Amino acid sequence: MKNLRYILVLCSIVVSLSLSAQQQSAMRINEYLVTNTSDFQDDFGQQNAYIELFNTSYGTVDIGGCYLSNDANNLKKYAIPRGDVLTKIKPRQHALFWADNQPFRGTFHVNFTLAESDTIYFVSSDGRTIIDKIFVKKDLPDNVTFGRTEDGIGSNCGCGEGWQVMDRTSPSTNNAGVDAESKSDRMYRVDPYGWIMTITAMSVVFLALIILAIIFTGIAKVSVKRGQEKATKAAEVKGEAAPKAKAEDYSAEAFAAISVALHLFIEENEAHDEESFTITLQHEARKYSPWSSKIYGLRQTPQLKK
Amino acid sequence: MENILDNLVQFWQFTGFANCNFQYLIMILIGLVFIYLGIKKEWEPLLLVPIGFGIIIGNIPLFPGLQVGIYEEGSVMNILYQGVQRGFYPPLIFLGIGAMTDFSALISNPKLLLIGAAAQFGIFGAYAIALALGFTPAEAGAIGIIGGADGPTAIFLSSRLAPDLMGAIAVSAYSYMALVPVIQPPIMKLLTTQKERLIKMKAPRAVSQTEKIIFPILGFLMTAFIVPSGLPLLGMLFFGNLLKESGVTKRLAETARGPLIDIVTILIGVTVGCSTQADQFLRGSSIKIFALGALSFVIATTFGVLFVKFFNLFLKEGNKINPLIGNSGVSAVPDAARVSNHVGLEYDKTNYLLMHAMGPNVAGVIGSAVAAGILLGFLA
Repeated sequence: MKNLRYILVLCSIVVSLSLSAQQQSAMRINEYLVTNTSDFQDDFGQQNAYIELFNTSYGTVDIGGCYLSNDANNLKKYAIPRGDVLTKIKPRQHALFWADNQPFRGTFHVNFTLAESDTIYFVSSDGRTIIDKIFVKKDLPDNVTFGRTEDGIGSNCGCGEGWQVMDRTSPSTNNAGVDAESKSDRMYRVDPYGWIMTITAMSVVFLALIILAIIFTGIAKVSVKRGQEKATKAAEVKGEAAPKAKAEDYSAEAFAAISVALHLFIEENEAHDEESFTITLQHEARKYSPWSSKIYGLRQTPQLKK
Repeated sequence: MENILDNLVQFWQFTGFANCNFQYLIMILIGLVFIYLGIKKEWEPLLLVPIGFGIIIGNIPLFPGLQVGIYEEGSVMNILYQGVQRGFYPPLIFLGIGAMTDFSALISNPKLLLIGAAAQFGIFGAYAIALALGFTPAEAGAIGIIGGADGPTAIFLSSRLAPDLMGAIAVSAYSYMALVPVIQPPIMKLLTTQKERLIKMKAPRAVSQTEKIIFPILGFLMTAFIVPSGLPLLGMLFFGNLLKESGVTKRLAETARGPLIDIVTILIGVTVGCSTQADQFLRGSSIKIFALGALSFVIATTFGVLFVKFFNLFLKEGNKINPLIGNSGVSAVPDAARVSNHVGLEYDKTNYLLMHAMGPNVAGVIGSAVAAGILLGFLA
């Protein structure tokens, strides 16, 4: 029992740790620009390299306390300040960091540049876990970004599948154009009369309930069989013949007669409790004791004595 | 004296009398009819009385900017309305429903689950007709769910798919749920023969507690894996049932099916009623929604009954199902099952169908939650 408690405590610690890591682990390096001569400007009116992060989750992620680095031997190179409301990245939104080596300019200015970097690391707040790592493509033309074709999707090396030289830069916004057509509009275009939806949906409803019906038919068979086995065993112990009658063998009228008889018996013997039309057949495991009564655990109401 | 008169004139302009028009009066009248039906006719009084009074509250003509109207951000009514708008009342109600529902009838005869599936045709029939009437697919989905005969599900889905139509959809869903004893019997009688109505079904077998405990767990896993978008409703429904059947969480089960569901029912009823402000509610679309709602109940009942007749073709003599329980596939629990029982007794005074009808009835709850999940997945 004691061991079981330890295991439970351990499990909850592991779960809570993984939850916090899970949130930050939803962040991805999404796009970067190495040489910026005529592209997006920062708040100081300057054009510099930038790194865009993307929150792939559907919950807000606070990246305060996480790290950005370009050095595998110093993963804590730039600590993203804690307590800045802007580091709370909303669901499916972006954060843009300027790689201008001017950290004194604010939270979103890191202390290295991309021209001097081969790799960019986004590191968890524990300072050890690398959440995302990409190799910097140095041969990009000026003012051309390299990024994920679709936000947050693709390999975690900054190359290969899901990465491409972007047709246009998209700092702090979606890499692929957002689909303007809503699900409802698309459904209307594909299925203006509703037949496809009706057939699909009804098939799914039937499928779900048929699976459930099959499973419970199986369980019912097992349960009935076990019940019969128990009854046979009990009868064998008493030295009687195994009972053959099943619940179905009795008519509804028989059940009604039994219920009425019980009701009358309880009424006549004044064994009726406070619930009308309810027969309570409950085993009282522990009799009342003032020591187990909660009322004795309550503090007495103070009374003024004169 | 002049100042007093000015004040009185100004006060008059604040009053409901000065801001009143015939639309508000119509809505107040509708609210009074709901209260009358709830109290005098006892048609779903737990729903119609709060909704009816909510309609009256919501249609008191207001001087705009007083921060008391349900659509005025930050007002008390608006805060209470968040449970409807953000959809957290319906799952809480499902928790209570789960804690008060006995799935024994269904577990003892699992094939009754299929009747609950068949009745969901009401949802998609109404969806197709709504599309033909010019509603968008999202609006049509929200309107179609009225055919599930499940108020919380209707509110949950319409708050996501068509918030503008939610008031009309919710009022329509609850009204027709109250009218189940009026709508269903003629269809049931029309579609069945005398011989079919007299079919006596086997008494359900006793279900072990183990089966009752396994049902909510497996039921949830199966349905949620197939339709994850129905998670809030299915999760709470089966969780509530586990509280009831586990036998060790009696207090939690009692709270869920007692005080909790009562509180949420009051809040959902009043705020849904309030949301029917005349300017939002009295529109051509509302009339269409009411017509489609009625139609969806008719389709659901028809398909439920016809499905049982079809199903009987494959069942051996002695195992056949009385088609009068086909109407119970809609999830108006337990009214639809009661209707099956009443109509059955009209033809045979010894044929009690209530327990048999409870099977498809609770299957309808699961079916409509699954259907809502599908609509949400496709259209949200």
